[in-house]
Amino acid sequence: MMTNEPLSAHAAAHGLAGLDADALARLKELDPKGENKLLERVLRAFQTSAARLAPQLETARLGNDRATVRLVAHTLKSSSASIGALELSQVCAQVEGLIRAESADNLDPLLDRLRHALDAALNAIQRLLDGRP
Amino acid sequence: MNARSDTTADDLPEQPRVLLVDDDEVNLLLTSIALRERGFAITEATSGELALAALAGGLPDVVVLDALMPGLDGFETCRELRVLPGCESLPVLMLTGLDDDASITRAYEAGATDFFVKSTQWSLLAGRLRYLLRAARVRAELERSKSRLARAQDLARMGSFDWKRGVGGPVFSVEGLRVFGLSPSDTLAFRPLLRMLPPDDRSGLIAVLHEVIRHSTVLATDVPATLRDGRQRIVHVEAEPEFNELGVLVGYSGIVQDVTDRRLAEDKIRHLANFDTLTGLPNRRQLIWRAERALEHGRRLNHQVALLLIDLDRFKIINDTLGHGAGDELLMEVARRLRSCVRHSDQVMESTIESMGSRSHRTLEAVGRLGGDEFVALLPEVVDERDAERVAQRILELMREPIFVGGQECFVTASVGIALFPRDGTSVADLMRNSDVAMYSAKGAGRNAASTYRPALAGQGREKLELESALHKAIERDELVLFYQPKIDVRGAKMVGAEALMRWRRNGVLVPPGDFIPLAEETGLIVPLSEWAIREAARQARIWQDNFGFADSIAVNLPSRLFERTDLVEYIHNAVTTYGVPHHAIELEITETGLMKDLQNVIPSLHRLNEIGVEISIDDFGTGYSSLAYLTALPISELKIDRSFIRDLGMTPQSSAVVTAIIALARSLGLRVVAEGVENLRQMEVLHRLGCGVMQGFLFSKPQPPEDIETWLQQTILPRKAPWIGKADEADMAEVLRFPDVRDPRAKPIG
Repeated sequence: MMTNEPLSAHAAAHGLAGLDADALARLKELDPKGENKLLERVLRAFQTSAARLAPQLETARLGNDRATVRLVAHTLKSSSASIGALELSQVCAQVEGLIRAESADNLDPLLDRLRHALDAALNAIQRLLDGRP
Repeated sequence: MNARSDTTADDLPEQPRVLLVDDDEVNLLLTSIALRERGFAITEATSGELALAALAGGLPDVVVLDALMPGLDGFETCRELRVLPGCESLPVLMLTGLDDDASITRAYEAGATDFFVKSTQWSLLAGRLRYLLRAARVRAELERSKSRLARAQDLARMGSFDWKRGVGGPVFSVEGLRVFGLSPSDTLAFRPLLRMLPPDDRSGLIAVLHEVIRHSTVLATDVPATLRDGRQRIVHVEAEPEFNELGVLVGYSGIVQDVTDRRLAEDKIRHLANFDTLTGLPNRRQLIWRAERALEHGRRLNHQVALLLIDLDRFKIINDTLGHGAGDELLMEVARRLRSCVRHSDQVMESTIESMGSRSHRTLEAVGRLGGDEFVALLPEVVDERDAERVAQRILELMREPIFVGGQECFVTASVGIALFPRDGTSVADLMRNSDVAMYSAKGAGRNAASTYRPALAGQGREKLELESALHKAIERDELVLFYQPKIDVRGAKMVGAEALMRWRRNGVLVPPGDFIPLAEETGLIVPLSEWAIREAARQARIWQDNFGFADSIAVNLPSRLFERTDLVEYIHNAVTTYGVPHHAIELEITETGLMKDLQNVIPSLHRLNEIGVEISIDDFGTGYSSLAYLTALPISELKIDRSFIRDLGMTPQSSAVVTAIIALARSLGLRVVAEGVENLRQMEVLHRLGCGVMQGFLFSKPQPPEDIETWLQQTILPRKAPWIGKADEADMAEVLRFPDVRDPRAKPIG
């Protein structure tokens, strides 16, 4: 790990680790010099949040608790958009939209995709935090 | 007011405090960083429950609330937040998703101030928050201003109302209801409102309202109202018309105000400004106002107006002897009596007398107090001066009754001066001045009388002032002299006394007594003048005694007020002692009128004077109204028949009848009798025949300086050269022939 290289610069340089470059650039704007280690804090906050939300999602899915599923999807939707996990954000929006519309569709395929996208996002985050491409 | 509370809406706190509520850590972190960067102070909360707990610890300037959260969501949090103290109008921004219309509606329903779609464009969020803060500030200002207005209205006992045409009665604000003594839950329709008015005023108000609405004009009127609790209030109503876009009147909006206190204060002020506080009569200002109105009417309707100036005659003495308290009491009683002499109207009128009809000037009639002991009666319409004189006589008549003040019975008289518009003046100032001139002439003529203005009186005012100041200096400048007129015993053809008559040699010219004695009496100068005369007469008696053995009396005229002085006897004693002449060298003459006027006060003096040998002579006898009963008891020595009877003697039988009666009276009372103003032999002969032997007049000698008297004695009396000498003897002879029984008339000399 190139420990003395700021994370944001690294991410910008390495670009697509599965996260949207524009979104990352916007985050970078909030902390242009990296003094506040903003990007790192945001990414870790996402990790914490995901670690809390993922089990909630699984439990709710098993218990067919659509309200909780919706809430998790809602939360993930905006936070993933913030860190540039656009695939995840999109899926979450779809899930939220279907549940709000009280759709009779089976959510399982979509939730599987959500799980995948989340894992991918977490992977990308970990790579970024580790300084890996 | 407090200037601090007037902060403008733009004046935001330096770091607005934001309570940021979001369950999503990422969003929370990002939003909080973004807002901090833009100058906000952020408190974070990751759930609704935590947000409410944070609020309990202190209020932020704005709350940003995520709508969807586990547990207490944004809507519920907002609802609960609104009932917390101080949070009723705390701005709350609800964050919702872009595609979430339902949440937007729910957000407003839950009491959110505004919503904002979540985005990463932080400047937009910051801008929205600043807008919210400004709006909240403006709203807070409005709330404060509204409550200030309510408080101000409350203090001013004022409230507002609206009336929409065709909708019904007026709608009053809470404060407006309070003006009518009603609670906020009450309503006040037009009819019950009208019933609060006295029945007589209702139709008037309805007429005013109709008129105002018909012309779409501003309403401004005061109405008396009786509230439910019985309180009487005066409510001022003021309203402006409101029009729609077509210019059609749609209603009125305005205010009602309880102006009772103000009205009472105004009434009080008006009364104080227009009425005398002691007597309650109109004061100078009000009187002049009334008089001016009366003259306007007189001019227009062509009638006369009378102004009567009334001045009390002896008020100063009462004030000085009984004190000001008694003086005030007396003035109040006088005021009460004067009021009853005219159709007195207390009404205060400052304007619009025109509206009261052509006879309205009658209500101007009044008695007022100018100040001190000066009063004025205004008669707004008189036919002629007799009208005014009748009122003046009524005033004098009412003053005659004694007045009880300070436990004592007082007699007060008044002098009244009358001036008529337009004859005696066309302005109030002229009438005041001329009534004053007339009043002084009444005083000069002996007071207790009324006098109507005559142009001849006018010039006398200034002259009189000059005369008065000159007279003051006359004694010290030795300008006063005594002339003497001998009293003649015609049968013996000898001087048996002399009357001293005062003359004033002013700038080398002799001023006749008639021109300064009344003024001296009026101003009180008569006292030092008389005292001087007594000393001077005593001095002269001594000179004559030395020169030709004069042993008779010199008579000095004294006004009755001198006899009231307790030191008169002592003064005379000192005067005669100084010059070494006996007491009887001085005789005092008092007019019959003066004596009778002050009889009670004069009698003690007369007795004391009599005891020391100073004789008293009654002057001008026959002109006054002597009580014969008193005359018998008075210690007097001589009666002097008034010159008016002597003048007519031998011409009218009445005069000789009067003279005969006086002589008979004197004889039966054992008094000497002296005839004054004897100018010719015929008068002398008749008088002598009727039994009067002592005379005074031009026939014998006019009043002369003392040295001339000596010359006259030497050149006329001693050589018996005058044409009248010897005539008396002839008359005696005639008498003897006519009345053979009387052998020797000299056996019964008179006096």
